[in-house]
Amino acid sequence: MKFFPGCMIHNRYPGIEKALYYVFEKLGIEISPLEGSSCCPAPSITRSVSSELWEELAQRNLKLADGETVITACNGCFTTLLEVSEKFGAGDVRHVAEFFYAEIGAEELKKYVEKRLPLKLAIHYGCHFFRPSKHKRFTSPERPKMLDELVEVFGAESVDYRYKFMCCGGGGGVRAGATEVSHDLLRKKMDGIAEAEVDAIAVICPLCMNQFDNGQKELRELGGEDYGIPVIHYVQLLAIAMGMDVEDTGLERHAIVSHSFIEKLVK
Amino acid sequence: MNEEYLRKLNTCIQCGTCIGSCFSGKVTALNTRKILMEYIAKGKPVKEDDTIWFCVTCYACQERCPRGIPLTDILIEARKELVREKGLPGRLKNAFGFLAEYSALVPARDEHAKLREELGLPLYHSQFVDGARKEVVEIVRKHLGGVVR
Ligand code: SF4
Ligand code: SF4
Repeated sequence: MKFFPGCMIHNRYPGIEKALYYVFEKLGIEISPLEGSSCCPAPSITRSVSSELWEELAQRNLKLADGETVITACNGCFTTLLEVSEKFGAGDVRHVAEFFYAEIGAEELKKYVEKRLPLKLAIHYGCHFFRPSKHKRFTSPERPKMLDELVEVFGAESVDYRYKFMCCGGGGGVRAGATEVSHDLLRKKMDGIAEAEVDAIAVICPLCMNQFDNGQKELRELGGEDYGIPVIHYVQLLAIAMGMDVEDTGLERHAIVSHSFIEKLVK
Repeated sequence: MNEEYLRKLNTCIQCGTCIGSCFSGKVTALNTRKILMEYIAKGKPVKEDDTIWFCVTCYACQERCPRGIPLTDILIEARKELVREKGLPGRLKNAFGFLAEYSALVPARDEHAKLREELGLPLYHSQFVDGARKEVVEIVRKHLGGVVR
């Protein structure tokens, strides 16, 4: 299998990649990086400019995998590579979360857990994990349950919160192009999460992660709310539950660092 | 604009489900249906309406529309026509500038490369592989010639 990092994991949250290799090694599945791969490129904003560009870059990335299954840990990369691979009948593309769920299974994953993590988590799927749903038949686009079940693997609890299925505000070029709007959306979402009194926000996409993580920092710096709720990718949580050192997951290099959360993970 | 899209837009029953589903529309003036209805009326997007860039492309409207109108896809198409006329909005221009230079919409700076090193991870994104970067940049420039320099 080939791991496709995309810009956000390769260039911003490499700890996700490190955790992913750890988990795959534990599971005994061979995986190596897709060398020379580029920006996926991001589905909505690239298509807002040129669909031809979107298709040609994605096809180049798919070709590099040379027939091996491509694993992504980003909803944007997943959407781009999946849709283009389907359109041209080229390559097998999986998102690591649905891959774990469908190919390994929650019960099987439990056998690899060395350390239970009895955390309260606010789960955020990210819109492009389950939509457009005609390409993503593995889960329901309304109230999916997959990730809620996947965190139970290591004893965590998925806490219900207001606006659980609302966008983080990062997608569609809004974070890059209309930052104030993305902040307004984030604030709404964060108010819901703060009410639920969770230990952390669990995501499966580095773009959502960046929006929650750096976005919270930006809101604070703008003189607004200081939520201080840490954000973690599911793969990082799973790796820690499987015995990886917290330090190796890069968690302490995120914008929002919570020492009480890290203590709970280390314990 | 695409005939098929126009035909589908004309089947709208004005039920408001799309607007009711739109989180972005709750915090901004984004009104998908209005943008798209202008399309039908004028055959092109409103030049001064920036709200089209407030859509996070969550696809909630598209998936819930009882007439199966591909609203998000149409909105993306509308953006494309707008870009052809007006160019990219400023900050997005920067992002595509990065793509055309580094082969990454989100390129790494020194601090990011250093973090990978500290974690013991190699630098293998095309941004760091000379041949690959050249290949990607050529593709980007071929398609974006007029939009990004
Ligand atoms: S949901 Fe569909 S049918 Fe209803 S108003 Fe919106 S576009 Fe028209
Ligand atoms: S896809 Fe865009 S217009 Fe449609 S509901 Fe989501 S944010 Fe609103």
